[in-house]
Amino acid sequence: MLLLLIVRRLFLTIPTLFGVALLAFLLVHMAPGDPALAALGLDADGAWLITEADLVRVREDLGLNKPIAQQFGDWVWRALQGDFGRSYVQNTEVTRMVLKALPTTMILLCLTMGSAIVIGCTVGVLSAIYRGRTIDYVARFISILGVSTPTFWFALLLIWSLAYLVPIFPMNGPIARHGMIAMVLPTMALALHPAALIARMMRSSMLEVLSHDMIRTATAKGLTKRRVYFVHALRNAVNPVITVVGFQFANLMGGAVAVEFIFSLPGLGSLLIDSIYQKDVLVMQGAVLLIGVVFAASNLIVDLLYMIIDPRVRL
Amino acid sequence: MSQTASEYEGRAGAHRTSLVRARESFAIFLSKPLNAASFALTASLCLIAILAPVLAPYPYDAIDLAKGLTPPSWDNLLGTDTAGRDIFSRLLYGARMSLQIALVTVAFGMLVGVTIGAVAGYFGRWVDEVLMRIVEIFMAVPGIVMALALVAVLGPSIPSIILALSIRRITQFARVTRGAVLSVKTMDYISACHALGMSHPRIIFGHVLPNCVGPLIVLSSVLIGNVILTESALSFLGMGIQEPTPSIGTMIASGNEFLTFAPWISLFPGLFLLLVMLGFNLLGDGLRDHLDPRDGNVS
Repeated sequence: MLLLLIVRRLFLTIPTLFGVALLAFLLVHMAPGDPALAALGLDADGAWLITEADLVRVREDLGLNKPIAQQFGDWVWRALQGDFGRSYVQNTEVTRMVLKALPTTMILLCLTMGSAIVIGCTVGVLSAIYRGRTIDYVARFISILGVSTPTFWFALLLIWSLAYLVPIFPMNGPIARHGMIAMVLPTMALALHPAALIARMMRSSMLEVLSHDMIRTATAKGLTKRRVYFVHALRNAVNPVITVVGFQFANLMGGAVAVEFIFSLPGLGSLLIDSIYQKDVLVMQGAVLLIGVVFAASNLIVDLLYMIIDPRVRL
Repeated sequence: MSQTASEYEGRAGAHRTSLVRARESFAIFLSKPLNAASFALTASLCLIAILAPVLAPYPYDAIDLAKGLTPPSWDNLLGTDTAGRDIFSRLLYGARMSLQIALVTVAFGMLVGVTIGAVAGYFGRWVDEVLMRIVEIFMAVPGIVMALALVAVLGPSIPSIILALSIRRITQFARVTRGAVLSVKTMDYISACHALGMSHPRIIFGHVLPNCVGPLIVLSSVLIGNVILTESALSFLGMGIQEPTPSIGTMIASGNEFLTFAPWISLFPGLFLLLVMLGFNLLGDGLRDHLDPRDGNVS
C-alpha cells in the first residue's frame, strides 16, 4: 500500500518536471529579438559584432529552424541525456558548469536545513513548554524578527559583525579555499528564516497537542514530564512541522541564490547570477532547469518522508 | 466572514450594513496591542511613501561628492553614500517606490489569481484540473529564481519587474481563492442562488467571492510584505530597480563593498526593510487570527 502511494507520488513529479523544463526552455525564446543572438549573449545592438554566417550556424546548432514544439522535444530529450548544450559566451559545456556548481548548493542547503530544524524545533518546544514565561516571550520575539529579516541583509550583517568587527569567520570564499568554516556564515544567514518559521510552527503545533486529553491521561498515569513532552506530545506535534520544513526547503533554493552570491560560493545561485550578468542565456537556462529539479526533488523527499512518518497519510 | 450569508438568513442584525460591521470588526482587531502596533507600522510606511517628497530633507539624487561616505549626523540622519547622497532621503523615496510596485503587483496578482481560482473552484471538474495544472507549472521554479530569470530576459524595467513578481502572486491568489470557493460553494445559500436561476458570473462575483474575502485579506497583507522583500532582493542582485532611482535593495547592495568603513550604507536600509516586513508579518498574523472563522471571534 505504501509502495503504491510512493509510486503514485513519483508519477506526480513528472508534470512538475515538465513545467520546469517548459519554463526553462521558454526563457531563451521569451527574450525580445532573435534567440540565436540571445544565445550568443548579444542584444539587437550587438548584432554587428557577428556575421550572418555565424548566426546561421548558431540557428542550425540550436535547431532554431525547426518548429517550436519539436525544438522543445529535442531539447528535453538531450537534457534527459545530460546534454544542456554548449555556452557560446564561455565556450564550455553547460552540463559541466551546472554539475560543478551543484555540490556547493547541496551542501549549503543540507547544512541550513539541518541546523534550522534542530534550532527551530528546540526553540519551538521550549517556547510551548514554558508558555507565557520569559523564555517564551524571548523566543517568540526572536522568531518573528527572524521571519521578518531579509536574508541578504542578514548575510551582510553577519559579515560585518562576525568577519570584520570580530574576525572569527572568513568574509567570503569557497570551501576549496577555507575548508568547511567557509560555510558557517552562509548557513547562519540562510537558516535564520526557516529556523524562525519552524519554531513558530513547532510552538503552535505543540501547544495544540498539549491541550489534548491524551496528554492529561499520560500525566495522570504518572509519567514523568519529560516523557510526556518528548515522547507523547512531540511525536504528535511534529507532522505540521514537517509540512513547513517542506515548504521551507523549497523556498531555501531561492534564498540560496542571494547567499551564494554574497559569500562568493560557487553554487547554482552564483552560476545563475553570473550567467545573467554575462547575458549567457544557455547557462541561465541550465541553472534554472537544475534549480527547478532540486526544488521538485526536495518537495518529493519531504512528501515521501511525510508518508513514512505519519501513518494517517497512508490511509 | 459571513456577511452576505446572514443577510440572506435574515437573522437579527441583518439591518446593519456590512460597512458598519466591517468597522466594528476593525475596532475589535485594533484593540489588541500587537495588532495596533502592526497597523501603526504599516500605516506609517504608507504615510512615509506618500509624504516622501515632503519629508525628505534632500532630493534623492542630489550628489555632493565632498560629503561622500559621511557617517550619520544631524545634517544627514543616516549618513551618506559614496556619491554623498543622503541615505535618509533616498530611503524615503525607496520606500515609496517599493510600496508602489508592491501594491500594483499584488493588485494585478489578485485580479488575475482570484479570477482563475474562483473559476477553477466554482466549476470544478476539468476546468479546475486544467487551470490548476497550469498554475502548478508556474510554481515549479522558486519565485525569486523565476523572477530573476524573467527580468534578465525581459530587461530590468519597472513593468517587467512587476510582471515577474506578479506571476508568483497569481498562483498564490489562485490557490487560496480556489480553496475558499470550494468550501463556500457547498453552502445552502449558494444552492438557493442556483434555484433562483442566477447566472454563473453573478453567483461567483455576487455571492461566492464576497464570502471568501477573509483569507484574501490575510493573503494580500502577507503578499505586500512578500513582494517588497522579493523586489528588494531582485534590486539587491542587480535585476530590479536601476540607479539612480532609489530602492532599498540597491541601497543595501551599494553598501556591500563599503561594509568595513561605511556600514551605515547597508545597515540602515536593511533595518528599515526589517521593520516593514515585521509590520506586514504581524499584520498578517493578526488578521489571520481575527478573520479565521475557526476561532469564531468574528460575528
